[in-house]
Amino acid sequence: MDVKTLSKITKWMESTDLEEITWKNGGDKISLKVNNSPESHSKFSSTIVPVSAPSIGIFRFTRPGKANTLKQGMSVKKGAELGVVEVAKEFKPVIAPVDGYLKIISIEDGKTVEYGQPLFFIEPK
Amino acid sequence: MFKKILVANRGEIAIRVIRTLKEMGIKSVAVYSEADRSCLHVREADEAVCIGPAIARESYLHIPAIISAAKVTGSEAIHPGYGFLSENPVFSAACEENGIVFIGPSPKAIAMLGHKSSARKIAVKGGIPVTPGTKDCVTKDYLKEAEKIGFPIMIKAAAGGGGKGIRIVREKGQLNHEFEMASSEAKSAFNNGDVYFEKYIQCPRHIEVQFARDSKGNVVAFPERDCSIQRRHQKLLEESPSPAVNQKLRDKLEEAAIKLANTANYVGVGTVEFLMDLEKNFYFMEVNTRLQVEHPVTETITRTDLVKEQVLIAAGEKLSLSRSRASSFDGHAIEHRINAEDFSKNFAPSVGRIEEWVVPGGPGIRLDTHMYQGYTLPIYYDSMLAKLIVWGPDRAAAIARSRRALEEFRVLGLSTTIDVHKMIIDSPEFQAGDVDTGFMERLLAPAAAAK
Repeated sequence: MDVKTLSKITKWMESTDLEEITWKNGGDKISLKVNNSPESHSKFSSTIVPVSAPSIGIFRFTRPGKANTLKQGMSVKKGAELGVVEVAKEFKPVIAPVDGYLKIISIEDGKTVEYGQPLFFIEPK
Repeated sequence: MFKKILVANRGEIAIRVIRTLKEMGIKSVAVYSEADRSCLHVREADEAVCIGPAIARESYLHIPAIISAAKVTGSEAIHPGYGFLSENPVFSAACEENGIVFIGPSPKAIAMLGHKSSARKIAVKGGIPVTPGTKDCVTKDYLKEAEKIGFPIMIKAAAGGGGKGIRIVREKGQLNHEFEMASSEAKSAFNNGDVYFEKYIQCPRHIEVQFARDSKGNVVAFPERDCSIQRRHQKLLEESPSPAVNQKLRDKLEEAAIKLANTANYVGVGTVEFLMDLEKNFYFMEVNTRLQVEHPVTETITRTDLVKEQVLIAAGEKLSLSRSRASSFDGHAIEHRINAEDFSKNFAPSVGRIEEWVVPGGPGIRLDTHMYQGYTLPIYYDSMLAKLIVWGPDRAAAIARSRRALEEFRVLGLSTTIDVHKMIIDSPEFQAGDVDTGFMERLLAPAAAAK
């Protein structure tokens, strides 16, 4: 089989739930294997990374006296501070765990958050 | 009265507190760690917030997270339950600083009564009998101090509790070694190496008296609880009244508790623990400034609600009970602490999923638990599954009811101490009410020897 045909087949496979294809020419044998795992049916890209609240408290996009520069879709660097959670007069930083694009901002400034609540979703680069 | 209260605890005690809040028409807020999302207290409360990861130090013991949870939910007061932050003066003070009412005594009272040697000073001041021992923490001249008391003696950690940091020294020769061990143990366990000496009382009973005092100085005491059934200083079974206490002695015990509450100017619900010797002399041991695990036996025979009294006191209101009402009781109650432990493996904790949970019911049964079929016990917290409290018109009837209830109790999926409780109530010593704190060791000795 030439590379062109192979790339056509793999491209077509991406649009299906197929995981494996065995094809034999002599005696015409075809066997197909379907991926049944639930993730494969999810509409979300499995690579998106949630950023969760490091503490219960009040979420702020910035520390006091600073302007909010976050915009949906923007590129963020691993280790960047995306905001802070104010707990007992202390500010706990919300840190981007990966390099990527800020796909979803699921929090508003001044809102109460609980521990582990997802605040942002980043699509890694 | 408060409109909303946060319960800074988990499991059965959080549910216990939430039940009273519901009956009082007060909204409840539960807090939970990541490991407790499926814990029943989260479902029973009106609101619930996640305060941190599974490890207690970063959730149930993390003061900023709990204060913050109270603030964001608009809770006016915090009930600490037992364990965790319930006897932590730093927490009680943090509540005060943040304008939140701590349902319990003041930071000063917790600190004063929580430290055993200062609590002892208050007892002495109030004229309450104390075990012969050192007045303060012992330092240099400890041999002289020990000989003054007379062997056997006990070495206790000043900041200790729950049976931790106690050593028995039977003779002079062991003293040096045991003293060193006790102080380094205390240092590592409580971050405070202070220890003191006390006379070791042979075959003692553990008798404790519940009391409550409001901010107006009204004070009540309840009939004593007998908690002599212990294993390694951990209580297994408690009953009220004690089979070893008559009405005359009961009056004296209640009087002592009231004197102590007044002397300490205590505001809240508390318990004073005594050791009672064979001649029925009782000696002050310590004060617990929290609601205790075994409080239901008192509630059962006196038909009262101690959590309600705690909330009333914290709100600055009057106790709902008169002195004579609190002292009067009916029948006998026994509490069985059912733990997830395998007693054939030296009470090793057992974890797993509750495959079957069939509980006793019918007349005279109260079950405080957070278990349900399908629940997976997290490994991070204590192993108590349930408290089975039975009531009977007299002690024999209560024991018969316990036997019936323990037979009905069926748990599959993990090991429990249900069978240990059957052994206890079937023992002639227990049935005769002739027990002391060494009872469990004797009961389990044949099983241990057979291994």
